[in-house]
Order: sequence, then structure tokens, then C-alpha cells
Amino acid sequence: MHAARNRTIAITVGILPALIIYLIFAILPILQSFYYSFMEWDGFSDMRYVGLANFIELFQDPLFWNSMKNNIYVVLASVLGQVPIALFIALLLNRKIKGLKIFRTIGFLPVVLSTVVISITWSLIYNSENGLINELLRTAGLDFLAQNWLGDSNWSMIAVLVTVIWQFVGLYLIIFLAALQNVPEEVLEAAKMDGASEWKTTWSITIPMIWDTIIVAVILCISGSLKTFDLIYVMTNGGPAHSTDVMALYMFNETFSKLQYGYGSAVSVIIFFFSLILIYTVTKLLGRKML
Amino acid sequence: MQSTYEKLEQQKGALRKKFPIKKPVIYFILIIFAIVNAYPIIWMVINSFKSEQEFATNQFGLPQELVFENYISAWNTANLGTLFTNSIFICLTATFLTVLIGAFTSYFLSRFTFKLNKVVYTFFIFGMLIPIHATLVPMFILMRNLGLLNTPVTLIFPYIAFHLPITIFILTSFMKAFPKDIEESAIMDGCGIFRIFWSIILPMSRPALATVIILNFIYNWNEFSFALVLINDPNLQTLPLGLASFAGQFTTNYGAQMAGLTMSLIPIIAFYLLLEKEIVKGMTAGAVKG
Repeated sequence: MHAARNRTIAITVGILPALIIYLIFAILPILQSFYYSFMEWDGFSDMRYVGLANFIELFQDPLFWNSMKNNIYVVLASVLGQVPIALFIALLLNRKIKGLKIFRTIGFLPVVLSTVVISITWSLIYNSENGLINELLRTAGLDFLAQNWLGDSNWSMIAVLVTVIWQFVGLYLIIFLAALQNVPEEVLEAAKMDGASEWKTTWSITIPMIWDTIIVAVILCISGSLKTFDLIYVMTNGGPAHSTDVMALYMFNETFSKLQYGYGSAVSVIIFFFSLILIYTVTKLLGRKML
Repeated sequence: MQSTYEKLEQQKGALRKKFPIKKPVIYFILIIFAIVNAYPIIWMVINSFKSEQEFATNQFGLPQELVFENYISAWNTANLGTLFTNSIFICLTATFLTVLIGAFTSYFLSRFTFKLNKVVYTFFIFGMLIPIHATLVPMFILMRNLGLLNTPVTLIFPYIAFHLPITIFILTSFMKAFPKDIEESAIMDGCGIFRIFWSIILPMSRPALATVIILNFIYNWNEFSFALVLINDPNLQTLPLGLASFAGQFTTNYGAQMAGLTMSLIPIIAFYLLLEKEIVKGMTAGAVKG
């Protein structure tokens, strides 16, 4: 009896600190944002209950839909850019090759760097006067292609997406390489003996064998790209003319520049459900569990 | 996605029948990939040593002479000393506490059977799905109500809360794999529950502990959103936040921006080259369930 009670106390004491911090600083904010989303509040004076007004206003704001559209572009660029490039390079690296370790080290490097450093660096690269890209184009005699990459709303989203892809290719590269190394050598040898070309072996043996990993990478890519905020905040802050606005940025600017805490909370709620529903749908469609 | 890729592969496959892909082609593609990956960083580091005029005229070459003015002006105007100190303090404290509390929780979740075990575990893991940005506004309000905006310890709380899920996930799955008789023989020897944790489970979990320490450290070191919303006192800013506002103020001083970035990169790149294996392991493990 005594021992059992001690055990219960020990378990409670052991789990409680983590649970309390997690509840207060991760779960409570989510619940609070539900509450605030029904209020009109400038953050200082008294709150006023407005029912669904914030949500109605939100759904009528074309800028909100614009930011959601851009968010979807980020998701698409990540899935269609990062995964195929990473897989292609991983397949090339998955053989007896000199300098494998160096390619791996360089490949993963951007993943370790802070998003802020990457954003500022790429802003300099895209700079219209002295940026690397325009300078390269000028050197190659292609001056007419030089653009104000981040300052021109026709190009800004594309420029941002290139950086997004660049940042995380290495992560998927390493994930794919690890999976490829688990494909048993004998299977590939056998296929080779049967006269299958490398292309055929890759398509009909290697890729099916790492299919599970590819699915995981796609899910990861989607949930990761929904988190895009820092990168765009630093590079363009959603501009020019909202051409690179994403939902989190829209929320940030509506809340802190216009002091609309109730409205901002309503956007938070939408982001929360949008992310969960998207991840849930994708995991279901791809036949995996969400948790 | 598959279609472009497929096409590429098909062309390659068709080619191969006639001329099997030669190693040089593979190396060529890999080298291009490596250049695209590394050159932006190298370009920035090299140009941080050039004077403004040289940057404008000779962007691709090595600097004619090393100019350190950029570094001096970046260090002074961006307040890098303070930023580094703040980042190191917050990073170490948050990482230490997250791993300590997380290890403790994981021990009970992995080595004990009790009624709410599965529920508590799932509840923690759910945290990995919470989009952090959805919490920025309520987090700001919460911290303001708690009087915790702009203090040296502000960021530690959300950092712990949001990294506990992945920490608990990695540690629990590692600790679950230990055989049951470890505790049994320890209990025979009269060890208490906490003693078993401290002198048996914790030392045995060393590889997983290394993974979560590195993971937490890198996440905390690079974190920007919470810092942006919760801190605006320049003396309390972390490195990413300070760099972002520095770049915002000195938009035309490219040299100083590059020097500031280079200085902030040195520790993380050194750390990466030193502990590459562990870092890659940690970040991919973190990603696969993050």
C-alpha cells in the first residue's frame, strides 16, 4: 500500500513540472486565442464581445485570402521543389563516390543556419544594385534580365520561394540518404545481374523501397512550410503590395501595427485550424497516422 | 512534382542505354549542387572583408586587402557582444531545463504503467502539431498579463514549452527500449525510484540525451518569432532578433551587414563541423517527428 502510494506521488511529481509549463505556455495561449477571437480589443481598454464579427470581417478581407494563397504557394514550392531535388541528389550520392562526406556536409549546412541569417544573406543576393544575382547577369552580358527581385511584385514571391527551397533541401537529402542506405545491396545486385538498367532499378526497386520515407518527407515539408514566417518577415515583410504576405504575417501586422488583438486572435484561430486540417487531410490521404 | 522529375529521369534513362552515365556527369551535377548550397555563404564571408568601393567593382574576386572596418562598425553598432551574451544565456538555460524536465517526464512515461500514461504522452506529442505562429498573439497577451514581457528570462518559458514535445518524444522512445530487468535488479538492491533514474536510466540514455541537447540548442539559438513579439528592449535582444533589426537599420551598409552575419555564423558553423554527425542525427530525428 505504502509503496504504491509512494509510486503515485513519484509519478505525479515527475510529470507535473513539464505538464504545468506545457499547459501554461503552449496550450493556454491556444485556448485564449479562441476567447479573444470573439472580442474587439485594442489591447488596453476594455474588451467588447462582438460575436463572430472578427471572423466575418476576416473572410471578407481580400488581403486575408491573398495571404492564404501565398501560404499555399509556399507549401507547393516546398513539396514540389525540395523533395524532388533532394531525392535526385540523394540518388546520385548513393554510390561509391569520392567526397561523399563533403557533399553531405555542404548539403546540410543551410539547415543549421538561422533563418534570419539566411534571409538577410539572400536579401543581399537579390539586391537590385549590387546583389550577387544581378552582378552575375551583368557579367554574363545579360543585363536585361536583371531585376529588382524583392522589390518587384512580379518577382518577389518567386525570389522568396527560391530561398525557401534552398534552405531545406539538405534536410530531405539527409533523410533520403539514410533511407537509401537501408536498401539491401543484394537486391540491387540481383537486379543488375538480371540486366536491369540503373534507371529501371531506381524506379522499380529503390524508389518503392523508400516510398515510406518519401511520404514522411512530404508530410514534413507541408507542416514545415506552414510555419514560414521569419524568412518572409525579414526579407520583405510581406511586400511589395502584399505580394509575399502569408497568413502569419498578415496576423502579425494586423495585430501589432493596427492594435487589433481580437482580430489578430481570430486570424490565429484560423491558422491553427488551417494547419491541423491540412496536415490531417494529407496524412489521411497518404495513409498515415497524424500522431 | 513527379512529372518533371520523371521526365528528367526518363531522359537520363534513355541516354544511359546508349551511353551509360559516366561518373564525370554525376560529379558535375553534384558540384553544381554544392556550389549553389555553399556559395551564398562564401560570397558573403569574402565580401565582408572588402571596402565599399571594392564590393561595388570586384564582387567575385578575393579581397585585394583585408578590410576590418566592417567588423568594427558591425560589432559596435549591432551591439553584438550583448546579443551573444543574451543568446548564450537563454539558449543554455532553456536547453538545460527542457532536457532535465523532459528526461524526468520521459522516465515516468516510458518505465511506468499507470492509468493516464497514454493520454499524457499523446497530449505532449500533440504539441508538435501546434503551429507556433498561431500562438504569437495570445502569447504576447499572456506574457504581458504575467508581467513577463522584456525580462531576461521571458523567452525561456515558451522555448521550454514548445520543445518539450519533441524532447519527450525522442527520450521516451529511447528509454522504452531498455529491458525491464534493469529496474528489477536495482530495486532488489534497494534503489529508490529517483535513484534508478539518476544513476541508471540517465547514464544509459546518453546518446538520446546528446541528440535532444543539440536539437534544443540549435532551435533556441535560431529562434526568432517569439523573440520578435516578446522582446523589444535592445539590451535583451537575442542574436537573430538583433541581426534583423541591425539589417533593417543599415540597409545600405552591405559590408557591415555581411560582417555582422559572418560573426554570428562562426560559432554555429564551428559547432556544426565539430559535431556534424550528432547534429545531423538530432535534426533529422527532430524533423521526422517534428
